[in-house]
Amino acid sequence: MTGVEIILAAAFAGALLTWFIGRTSSTAGSAFAVAVLLALTALVALLHGRVYETVFYRGFLGLPMSLRTDSLSWFFAMATTVLAALSGIFSLSYMKDRKNTGFFNTMLLLVNAAMLGVVFSGDLLSFFIFWEIMSWSTFLLISFNRGQGVNAGLKYIVMSLVGSMAMLVGIGWLLGAFGTLNIARLSELIPSASGGHQLVLLLLFGIAFGIKNAVMPLHTWLPDAYTEAPSPFTAVLSGMLTRMGIFGFLLILYVMAGAARVLHSPGSTVPTYNVVLAWLGAVTIVVPTFIAMLQNDAKRLLAWHGIGQGGYMILGMAFGTGMGLAGGIFHTLNHAIYIVLLFMSVGAVQHRTGGVRDLNSLGGLARKMPVAFIGALMGISGLIGVPLTNGFVSKWMIYRTLILGGAPFLAFAALIGSWGTILSVYKFLHNVFLGQLPSKYENVRSSPVSMKIPILVLSFAILLFGILPGLPLKVIDGIVVSFGLPSLDVSLWGIASEAGTLNTVNLFAALAVGVLVVLAFVRILGRSERVGQDSNYSAGCGVPRDRYNYTARYYDPLFRMISPYLKDFFSTLYDGLARGIGSLCEAVRMIYTGYVSSYVMYILLFISAMIFIHLTWNPW
Amino acid sequence: MTFLNEYAFYIGAFGLILIGLLTILLRHHLIKLIIGLSIMETGINLFLIAIGYISRGTAPIFPVDGGAGTVMVDPVPQALVLTAIVIGVAVLAMALGMAIRLHGHYGTLDMRRIKELKW
Amino acid sequence: MVNPVLLLAVPMGLAFTVPVIERITGRVSRWVPVAAMLFNLVLCVRLIPAVLEGPVIVQLGGFVPPFGINLYVGPLGLFFAGLIALAGLVISVYSLTYIRTGPLARYHMLYILLLVGATGVALTGDLFNLFVFFEILCISSYALVAYNGDRAGLESSVKYLIQGSVGSSMLLVGIGMLYGIFGTLNMADIARSVGMVDQGVLFVPLIFMLGGLGVEAAIFPMNAWLPDAHSSAPSSISAVLSGIAIEVGLYAVARMVFTVFGISDLFLFLAFLGVLTLLIGEMCAFAQSNIKRMLAYSSIGQIGLILFALAVASGVTVTGGLFQFVNHTFSKGLLFLSAGYLIYRSGSMEISSLQGMGRRMPLTSLAFTVGSFSLVGLPPFAGFPGKFLIVRGALERGGTVIVVLTGLVLLCTILEGAYFFRVVQALYFREGISGGSGERAPAAAAVAMILLMMLILALGAYPQFAETFLRSAASDLMGAVEHVGSVL
Repeated sequence: MTGVEIILAAAFAGALLTWFIGRTSSTAGSAFAVAVLLALTALVALLHGRVYETVFYRGFLGLPMSLRTDSLSWFFAMATTVLAALSGIFSLSYMKDRKNTGFFNTMLLLVNAAMLGVVFSGDLLSFFIFWEIMSWSTFLLISFNRGQGVNAGLKYIVMSLVGSMAMLVGIGWLLGAFGTLNIARLSELIPSASGGHQLVLLLLFGIAFGIKNAVMPLHTWLPDAYTEAPSPFTAVLSGMLTRMGIFGFLLILYVMAGAARVLHSPGSTVPTYNVVLAWLGAVTIVVPTFIAMLQNDAKRLLAWHGIGQGGYMILGMAFGTGMGLAGGIFHTLNHAIYIVLLFMSVGAVQHRTGGVRDLNSLGGLARKMPVAFIGALMGISGLIGVPLTNGFVSKWMIYRTLILGGAPFLAFAALIGSWGTILSVYKFLHNVFLGQLPSKYENVRSSPVSMKIPILVLSFAILLFGILPGLPLKVIDGIVVSFGLPSLDVSLWGIASEAGTLNTVNLFAALAVGVLVVLAFVRILGRSERVGQDSNYSAGCGVPRDRYNYTARYYDPLFRMISPYLKDFFSTLYDGLARGIGSLCEAVRMIYTGYVSSYVMYILLFISAMIFIHLTWNPW
Repeated sequence: MTFLNEYAFYIGAFGLILIGLLTILLRHHLIKLIIGLSIMETGINLFLIAIGYISRGTAPIFPVDGGAGTVMVDPVPQALVLTAIVIGVAVLAMALGMAIRLHGHYGTLDMRRIKELKW
Repeated sequence: MVNPVLLLAVPMGLAFTVPVIERITGRVSRWVPVAAMLFNLVLCVRLIPAVLEGPVIVQLGGFVPPFGINLYVGPLGLFFAGLIALAGLVISVYSLTYIRTGPLARYHMLYILLLVGATGVALTGDLFNLFVFFEILCISSYALVAYNGDRAGLESSVKYLIQGSVGSSMLLVGIGMLYGIFGTLNMADIARSVGMVDQGVLFVPLIFMLGGLGVEAAIFPMNAWLPDAHSSAPSSISAVLSGIAIEVGLYAVARMVFTVFGISDLFLFLAFLGVLTLLIGEMCAFAQSNIKRMLAYSSIGQIGLILFALAVASGVTVTGGLFQFVNHTFSKGLLFLSAGYLIYRSGSMEISSLQGMGRRMPLTSLAFTVGSFSLVGLPPFAGFPGKFLIVRGALERGGTVIVVLTGLVLLCTILEGAYFFRVVQALYFREGISGGSGERAPAAAAVAMILLMMLILALGAYPQFAETFLRSAASDLMGAVEHVGSVL
């Protein structure tokens, strides 16, 4: 067995074993699950720099199934396992007193194993099989919390099935046209197919990946799913699972359709597809970010950002330059880090407040839960793209690509998205952690250790990748080069290619100077006096503290202004479609009237209609 | 008249089948439906016999002297009809038995009122 | 080599000993179906090597075809016989404890007869013989549907009987016409001379047979009996009816169209009919709140899918269709078997009353989940290879109409997924309602369900094993010339 096979075997066997161990003792099961995830992380890390392909199974309908590893697979696999391991650690205390912990752990490992299978598959058949396992195990986990989760899960799996069926048609067509499903072979064959065929193929796969990555008209499953899934799994779902769509796009656009073709044949169908994708990405950035601003549920707010940030990745990736591609991939990683961090912070709050995530009723938790606050602060800094955090670097790369690529409208859209992000995440941070502490949360305790560890690790990662972006960018540069694009000159501190130069040392210096100047001003000139919170609010009059909470109805004027324009039209459309199909089904079943003579009449009508057609038109 | 001579059996057979089918389609009473089935089966049996019938043929039994020159009808449809009759009787018996039980449950055999299972 | 006629003779003989055994010792009689099906299974396995070399022709009574009745045991016939034996065995194990009240001896006797009828249909090479075996199958299923003797059972049984009788009558009319045209009832003999007759004349008997067999195969619009009968029969019988009876009907349709008539002009129409059946079935199933009725409508959908696969008539799709036969037998069997105990426990067939069953009956709920995932066609279960083969073959075959129809098939899969996932969610993720009896699935039922689950997983993980055999079965179905050559 080769390394990849061992990893996958361990991942699936680990999931199975977790279930059996979880049956005897749920604590042991959770511990084992974390151990498996950590071991997988180590195994994947060992795979660094290896490039090979191996056939692992020949028994499936005469099609050899293979696994392959290269820089792209390794990058995604590494991110997947690390984040899954952190989520596993986080879930130790989160899931402690809940029911069905064993089931949760098993499914978490299964999802993780399936994701590893997706990124390591060397042919589209195994890709599809792992993809589907990933989908249905995700469905089970989204439904895990019951209540609204049931509807969210159903919505997810139906949309996911739509995508899978589109992909299945694509795969069937590829197999019919080229007789192979091996990705390496297909990447040689597909460029020779006609433009129209390629377009259909890209559309079919695009539907599948677009749904998974929640690109704008196909995004409606995501807010519900993120909101309703248990928080440790929301982290996995938002961090990597949704981004399997990005992986799929990379696979189909760059590995299979060929980067050269994407870039250098203007007028052919593939670049057109690119441009459409880029515009979809732009829409995906703007609209969900502003919808996020209107949310009053912490997880739902973050979920809408999950959609919006996906737009940046699409935008960077669809542009097809080395810088944009690297930016898109790097943003995938950065987004995974900070969104996982944010969901963990919310999860920690939920854990201590008894499941409350309503932004109108929380507030002032920063002192009670300092680690969660640090996590949230770092997370939103990354999300906004504050310099010296990781989000800044990848956003910079994407902006740079857009401006250099002569797409000012797209760049403007991305910029608007950033404004919306700033507004909405400040609402999030303020309404949960700042402001006044409601009296019922006076006794909230700090988050447990197993939650603190992943939060601190991820916060550190945000700073690390923000100050030393060269660490991940070296790997990403390898991916870019493997797609046949020119290398970016990556140093530990930044990029020095002709497409643009980034040096975090300079940034750091500039920021440090700025901060020092401000500090000096405050020290020398500043005179401050502490007043009670009520004193300027109520002009000195005593106000009963528990009667007001100024975190409620945040951005109310703005809300009233923009909310009529920011309804989720597509969600309404799909819901209407589903209802329409439902009532159509209700109507169709009325043909079975229950009256036996009409049934006999159907039989006779069939026979006589056939004979009538035969005698009249003789079509056969 | 030759037409009638040649096709009389077929006309009769399909006439019976249609009568049976119409009974099933137009009547609501279960017993009448079963009667309709029975008539239809008779028609089919007649049809099968008619296929094998040769005008003025005798029974398909070889006499001891060889029977040269005698015209015999086709024996195969007759064998089929025997089987079909047996099957028909079995179905008929079962249908009547069920009708009795059904009456016990519903107190009626009107198929318009026995339609709890629908949609 | 063993004589394949034992596949029919031994179970039928055993069936009629059941009442006698019942008189002597009441407890043994329920083991007779198990023994009969085990015998058939062993026999089928032993026949595999011989059949793979070439079809085995059995001349009954020593008459040479086309004058005598012959059995045609090709890969396809043996495949069906084996499938019937395997499913029959598992379901009879389940029935050991599931059927506890009522005239037990008659249940077991009719159960064997039903399976014998199905096996006979699959093996026979003679048209009238086909009719007789169909009647055996039908009459025993009329009786078994009404086994519980309740209102719903009797009502659906009577309705089934009327429609079934009309259907068989149409079949018989068709057979009579064919005899009138060809003067023979042997399938191979008819297939040999079918080219010499005007296609227009042949069409009328074909339509009569299609109409007649369509009732048994539950092809729209002849399938109105199915949801009633399948939902009100005892669950073990529902499993047999869904898993075996209608599939055998569809097999007969395919045999007629492919081997006997060899009319390729009709294939496109049949593909349409298949997709229509699929659409109607899935849409009705989507709108159900009664679990067994939902499963019954889903059987209609599956039949439509298989009909579509067969009617596309490329080697790959026919193989896929046959694979789907296997998957449907196992998955739908599993679904009905698990639903049987879920219903026992909750005391109601409403899906809403099954909420929270995942905790109270973990094994049964797991079985239901595996069955539904497999039926939707999710990997790594048995449904995926079949669906994959069908889609792949249909797209390879090409043509705008076929591609559009394939798209519709996949849309139906989404619909199917929606209603099955809804039930899975009800089992696991909705708050339970207390009530019903406190009974778990007994050992025999658990054995049957675990066996089926293992079969589904094994087929899903290693479809190659079945596929090699199914490919020769598919060429058996499509090769009319070889059929004629080997019989005559």
